[in-house]
Amino acid sequence: MLSVCPYFHVHQPHRIKKYRVFDIGNDSEYFNANDETDLNNERILLKVAQKSYLPATKVLGELLEQHPEFRFALSFSGTVLDQFEMFAPHVLEAFQKLVHTGRVEILADTYYHSLAFFYSRPEFERQVAHHQQRIQELFGVTPRVFRNTELSYTNDLAMWCEDNGYLGIMAEGWDPILGWRSPNYVYSPKGRSKIKVLLKNYKLSDDIAFRFGNRGWESYPLNADTYAKWVHAHHGDGHTINLFMDFETFGEHQWEDTGIFNFLSALPTALLRHGDTGFKTPTETVLAYPSVGEIDVPHILTWADTDRDLTAWVGNDIQKDAIASIYRMEGDVLKTQDTETIETWRKLQTSDHFYYMCTKWFQDGDVHAYFSPYESPYDAYIAFMNALSDLQLRVTEMLRRKEVEASPTKAIGFWARLVAWLKRLIARVPFINRRMKVRTP
Amino acid sequence: MRNGGLGVACHGLTEELIEAGAEVIFVLPRKQPTIGGCKFMFADFSGKIPVKVYQIESSLIPYQHADSFIEMFLPGGKRVRFSRTVLEEVHRYAEAAYEIARNEQFDIIHAHDWTSYLAGLMAKLASGKPLVLHVHATAYDQAGSENVDPQIYDIERRAFHEADTIVAISNYTRDIVVNRYGVDPAKVAVVHNGIKPQELRKLPPALEELKAQGKKIVFYHGRITIQKGVDYFIRAARRVVDLDPNIVFVISGWGDMEHQIMHLVGEMGLSKNVIFAGALWDDERDRMYQSADLLVMPSVSEPFGLVPLEAIQQGTPVLISKQSGVAEVLKHALKVDFWDVDEMANKIIAALRYKTLNQQLVSEGQKEVSRLTWKTAAHKVMHLYHKLLALLKREI
Repeated sequence: MLSVCPYFHVHQPHRIKKYRVFDIGNDSEYFNANDETDLNNERILLKVAQKSYLPATKVLGELLEQHPEFRFALSFSGTVLDQFEMFAPHVLEAFQKLVHTGRVEILADTYYHSLAFFYSRPEFERQVAHHQQRIQELFGVTPRVFRNTELSYTNDLAMWCEDNGYLGIMAEGWDPILGWRSPNYVYSPKGRSKIKVLLKNYKLSDDIAFRFGNRGWESYPLNADTYAKWVHAHHGDGHTINLFMDFETFGEHQWEDTGIFNFLSALPTALLRHGDTGFKTPTETVLAYPSVGEIDVPHILTWADTDRDLTAWVGNDIQKDAIASIYRMEGDVLKTQDTETIETWRKLQTSDHFYYMCTKWFQDGDVHAYFSPYESPYDAYIAFMNALSDLQLRVTEMLRRKEVEASPTKAIGFWARLVAWLKRLIARVPFINRRMKVRTP
Repeated sequence: MRNGGLGVACHGLTEELIEAGAEVIFVLPRKQPTIGGCKFMFADFSGKIPVKVYQIESSLIPYQHADSFIEMFLPGGKRVRFSRTVLEEVHRYAEAAYEIARNEQFDIIHAHDWTSYLAGLMAKLASGKPLVLHVHATAYDQAGSENVDPQIYDIERRAFHEADTIVAISNYTRDIVVNRYGVDPAKVAVVHNGIKPQELRKLPPALEELKAQGKKIVFYHGRITIQKGVDYFIRAARRVVDLDPNIVFVISGWGDMEHQIMHLVGEMGLSKNVIFAGALWDDERDRMYQSADLLVMPSVSEPFGLVPLEAIQQGTPVLISKQSGVAEVLKHALKVDFWDVDEMANKIIAALRYKTLNQQLVSEGQKEVSRLTWKTAAHKVMHLYHKLLALLKREI
């Protein structure tokens, strides 16, 4: 038996508009660009909905109807769910319909698609809890398998997940970690036995996610039968083929004219043609197969680049500065107890903001691998830091006001206590009492 | 060479062409006793390396209108006006070039900028050798608008069409050559300018008093002409000072808009924040580069733009106009449309306010600049030469 475990990640960040120094102190809206640029979040969401979310959910819905065996998983960032509610509720409904079939699993995640695990554990935990609650509200399910932002993974994260009751966790099936071993089995994290790790088969995943529409690729144009053959070739040397990719692969990263939707429509039939092949959700996969070994990931592993680390997000100095600046504010921001301020601060934690500041591609000139709505990584940094400066200003002002509000009551309390104490003191001194008596007529 | 980039470019390229095995005969339009650098630079060659320097009695300096009279400065600084116009000089230079071309042995003619295009054409006529034109600027850059000198345009257009190969110093300039002069794009190649590596010499700081008061310094260095966009820079300065009066703008340069800019500074109430330093050169200039917190090049039209590269070498980050050739090769720089005064101000303040940004622009910028060498440029030029000669052989 060989099962295929597809999982599609749905995410959009709240992109920061061209926020200038002159806006600091004057404009507390950072994400409301309403121009024709790619910083206009509503515009992007509606565009991607048209190109990807709507047609792809339609195809997936049809596949679920046609093939009772078909199943897959989705993960949503809280930021994309918020934008669905704001700009395109019908898209959210399309996803809810898929989940209501009971054959579409939803994964756990951080609400704000953040790297909080590596910068603030308490904040990370708050975001995971927030996400879980929101998924329960919108879809009526509770995630049991965890995936972290950018598929980032370490031994510590796996331990945290096990301690918090998750059955499984996702990671990149990267050769240097695996050595001679195959990503097509279920593993245990180092030192833990309850939770299992599902590793992405990046070759087969990227054939669809990255290479599908590339005319220079030797396998172009790829059809479902050929692809199914590549999958079937793993019969006998694996239990599960984990295909992890962005949901936007369908229609946005790979445009409709590449034939991606036809490919998706034909894929389950082609895969199921081999009698001993099926589909499983991540939870089904971790429950079905025993762990064949331990994987040890002391340093952060992600899905990105050829480095598979966090350097695309926090590799250069401005990125490090930006992310350090946001987490440095944690204490003060939380002290304000102001829901809106805290939420704005969290929206600024989304990993995309730091990714836009990446300068790695300057060296290899690989612009296309690093899409950004900003003209330059420096523009991204300036908009981010200006917005952060404004937030800082507002937080400081709120805390100052709180102090002022608190202090008069404190002061009154102090004087009141002092007077009471003096009265008591006077009452205890017999001499004064006597004199007062004497004077009394 | 105190005429901006052209002399520096010719020097850097020639040195590396020789290094790559070319023999160079350098025909200068005139003796240059008055404007220092050039004579020294090339006279320096004649002893050590196989460059032959020809100086024709002519008075050409670049960046002039065709019918402006020629002015020169005597050693005492006295201004002398010659009777001939630039255009007459260009023609006289071309005639001399014809004679030289008949007497010298060479394979390729390589002419730099419009004042030598006719000389190049005449040399081609005399020798039948292929002609390469090197475009460092066009009449469109000088004018800063559609107000183009028709006589210069005419010479450029004729020369571009007659040339065998054209070298543009940026895609920005190539687009102008192709679109404004109707030249076949196939014969226009781009060879970006390089810059000589500089060993950083720590100089004594400039404007120490201001710095001691905690003032930040924004530096402009270049000619003060309409092409250079200094007026936009001043308007941005107004926005900056409104937000932070502790920022000082230093302007080094000269040019026909100098009085207009001074007037603008007064009018906008910026006299306290703008310093006219005169034209700074050599160590004086480098000291200012080193003391400044940011260099701005706000050009309306800049075929390449050497100044930002010099600034980065001296450890100062740069904000450059997108309407420049150097923006194509410099990624670790802040960039702005010259007309977008608000954005210019935004980026000036950001560069001064966010230390990490300032530092990364320098450290990464210096790595980037060190890769922009004249060697790379010379190799591209040599490749073009060989292509031309191979083509010629096949035709014979």
